Amino acid sequence: MLVLFETAAGYAVFKILDEKKLQEVDSLWREFETPEKANKIVKLKHFQKFQDTTEALAASTALVEGKLSKNLKKILKKIVAKDAHEQLAIADAKLGGVIKDKLNLSCIHSPMVTELMRGIRSQIEGLITGLPSREMAAMCLGLAHSLSRYKLKFSPDKVDTMIVQAISLLDDLDKELNNYIMRCREWYGWHFPELGKIVADNLTYCKCVRKVGDRKNFSTSDLSEVLPEEIEEDVKAAAEISMGTEVSEEDINNILHLCDQVIEISEYRTQLYDYLKNRMMAIAPNLTVMVGELVGARLIAHAGSLLNLAKHPASTVQILGAEKALFRALKTKRDTPKFGLIYHASLVGQTTAKNKGKISRMLAAKTALTIRYDALGEDSSAEMGAENRLKVETRLRHLEEKGIRRISGTGKALARADKYQHRSEVKTYDPSGDSTLPAVPKKRKIEEVEEEETEVTVKAKKVKAEMKEEADVEEGGELVKKKKKKKEKKQRMEEEAASAEEPSTSTAVENTEKKKKKKKIKVEQED
Amino acid sequence: MRPGFSPRGGRGGFGDRGGGRGGFRGGRGGGFRSPGGNDGGFRGRGGGGGFRGRGGPGRGGRGGGGGRGGRGGFKGGKKVTVEPHRHEGVFICRGKEDALVTRNLVPGESVYGEKRISVEDGELKVEYRAWNPFRSKLAAAILGGIDQIHIKPGAKVLYLGAASGTTVSHVSDIVGPEGLVYAVEFSHRSGRDLINVAKKRTNIIPVIEDARHPHKYRMLIGMVDVIFADVAQPDQSRIVALNAHNFLKNGGHFVISIKANCIDSTAAPEAVFAAEVKKMQQENMKPQEQLTLEPYERDHAVVVGIYRPPPKQKK
Repeated sequence: MLVLFETAAGYAVFKILDEKKLQEVDSLWREFETPEKANKIVKLKHFQKFQDTTEALAASTALVEGKLSKNLKKILKKIVAKDAHEQLAIADAKLGGVIKDKLNLSCIHSPMVTELMRGIRSQIEGLITGLPSREMAAMCLGLAHSLSRYKLKFSPDKVDTMIVQAISLLDDLDKELNNYIMRCREWYGWHFPELGKIVADNLTYCKCVRKVGDRKNFSTSDLSEVLPEEIEEDVKAAAEISMGTEVSEEDINNILHLCDQVIEISEYRTQLYDYLKNRMMAIAPNLTVMVGELVGARLIAHAGSLLNLAKHPASTVQILGAEKALFRALKTKRDTPKFGLIYHASLVGQTTAKNKGKISRMLAAKTALTIRYDALGEDSSAEMGAENRLKVETRLRHLEEKGIRRISGTGKALARADKYQHRSEVKTYDPSGDSTLPAVPKKRKIEEVEEEETEVTVKAKKVKAEMKEEADVEEGGELVKKKKKKKEKKQRMEEEAASAEEPSTSTAVENTEKKKKKKKIKVEQED
Repeated sequence: MRPGFSPRGGRGGFGDRGGGRGGFRGGRGGGFRSPGGNDGGFRGRGGGGGFRGRGGPGRGGRGGGGGRGGRGGFKGGKKVTVEPHRHEGVFICRGKEDALVTRNLVPGESVYGEKRISVEDGELKVEYRAWNPFRSKLAAAILGGIDQIHIKPGAKVLYLGAASGTTVSHVSDIVGPEGLVYAVEFSHRSGRDLINVAKKRTNIIPVIEDARHPHKYRMLIGMVDVIFADVAQPDQSRIVALNAHNFLKNGGHFVISIKANCIDSTAAPEAVFAAEVKKMQQENMKPQEQLTLEPYERDHAVVVGIYRPPPKQKK
């Protein structure tokens, strides 16, 4: 009978020398009390060492799942070739089944086998010759660690240390860049001070200097890629009449080196920023959606790690970064700060100063949720962050609308927007006015015109500013309805009053008079 | 024989690392690591909670959850003496208040924010870590006066239910560089912390597997001398028995922590303990002593026994 024994260092196949002893299960342990005794009952037939940890990892994962790894298959095939009739004792019944199916090798698993395994395990060092115990221990440790990491799906792109380092580097780069640029400006300014005033942007300045070098070359060089047209003209003009000193070739070379550095660092900075954005999206997608990459990265860096940040309550997230102000206020019993790093989030930035505190609190509350979801959740989609952001934005809108005040009047009453009522305004053409024949005699018309005039002036004071119809319609309506005065007198009044109100109130009276004149003229025309 | 020892403060007296078995205790902050080189480790801060500086690689954990109430004792710099305990590998630190300590295998590092004590031993500087009996069942058992823990320097220990590795680190201290601790833990979250502890201590072998199926991790484990089980499962006797059949040597010992509530919350604790003992006896595990963990835990007991005792020599 053969025994298959898996170790951290490799697969071992033993042959049982004395099968009779196996019958006495209870006293089997005696046979393994010393290495010599153990060697008498089993003999190492074949030991397949693992070449490296990857092989060992593959073997152990297959073992955990009860499957056959490639290595194991190879060994067993060799055995089948040699001793097909032998039975194989294995520790896992499931594995035995698989071996039987695939290789047609009969396996046994019984309490006797368990005892056997115990014995072999206790004497493993003595039984497997040629394997120093230190190596075995080392392999064991290495295998355990790699197996555990594999189990935990330790993925390197979920490490938030990258974020912390990247954001610190970004800040460092900015500082350095600023220093270098200031130095460059000052240094070159000795030679050509006007350029500093004309070209405001730092990177363009350096590119300009890099391209040209000495002031004399300005007129000959082409700066179209670096500068826009007008500025280029200015620069060239200024170069002619500059009051800077002359500098030698060597000096210019040094300045050019510095400009090279600046340009390189600027490019690297943009690259780093892109890298940071990618990492943030990979590690904490919901947080990125809520507050943006930079603010999110700063929060993580401030707390030390994403998990640490997740442990903070929302109130802490709100004022992370304002600790000095916070403790000062707490000590002197004053008002504590309302926002820390979260101030730089876009949602807080776009509100009025009055609402920044409220929004910062709301944003911090939702952000704390997204942080916990990112740090401790299994899913890695950004939908939760998007939902939360939507909620905060809705709240923000309500906040802003609530506070709008009326412009006219005292300015203290809150604006009231009327509730929208859908009024179906379908106007059909009234054909009753199509007749050109005078419908009423002259005299009555003049009287009514006078009546209308008085009524119009009265109504002008009473009617509110509610315009429904357009001016030309009103004009047309006016003409038409003059002829239908009996039925539509009231409407006419309103319309005329409305048309009287249409122009500004100061000219209202004037217009009514004008309209009176118009009416009279029209009446005359009709006549 | 009890070493003179007064219990330490209230719960949450030691800085909490969070995670671990079922979430936080003592509520505040988390991820707190004592800064290196600070003699006596952490100082309790009053008032609005200490804010440990910003940024950098340091863990800027907010304030300390522990250290204020009930810490007393070790204000940094005071003179304390360390003497060995009856159990090998365990020590007692005597000062204004006494503490159970183990010798730090990795000097300068705190595993879960516990206090560290440095003592000059002639030329050598030796560092010890305080062992909290409220967090560790083994420490509670030692302080309760257990006769034998069987975990000694050079021993090979199979630790079932390792959680985040807080007690495992102390066991690793006791067994020293010659011994080995196989730490088995099924939870992934705790497993992550356990792996971090194992990175620093090479005598801990982390196994992220279910202890109910010892054949799944048979490749990693050799024969052990002691099994320590703190799994808090209703079928824990069976779990320990399975592991013992596979990995515990003849004449090896086991130390099992039983939580009465977990096995059967309706029965009386004594009845639960008795039932468990009976189950063990059926599996060829002979219990030798039983001890309750008052005043550190309620309705908990620790059972120590021997597995496959060698046959008595007839004289």
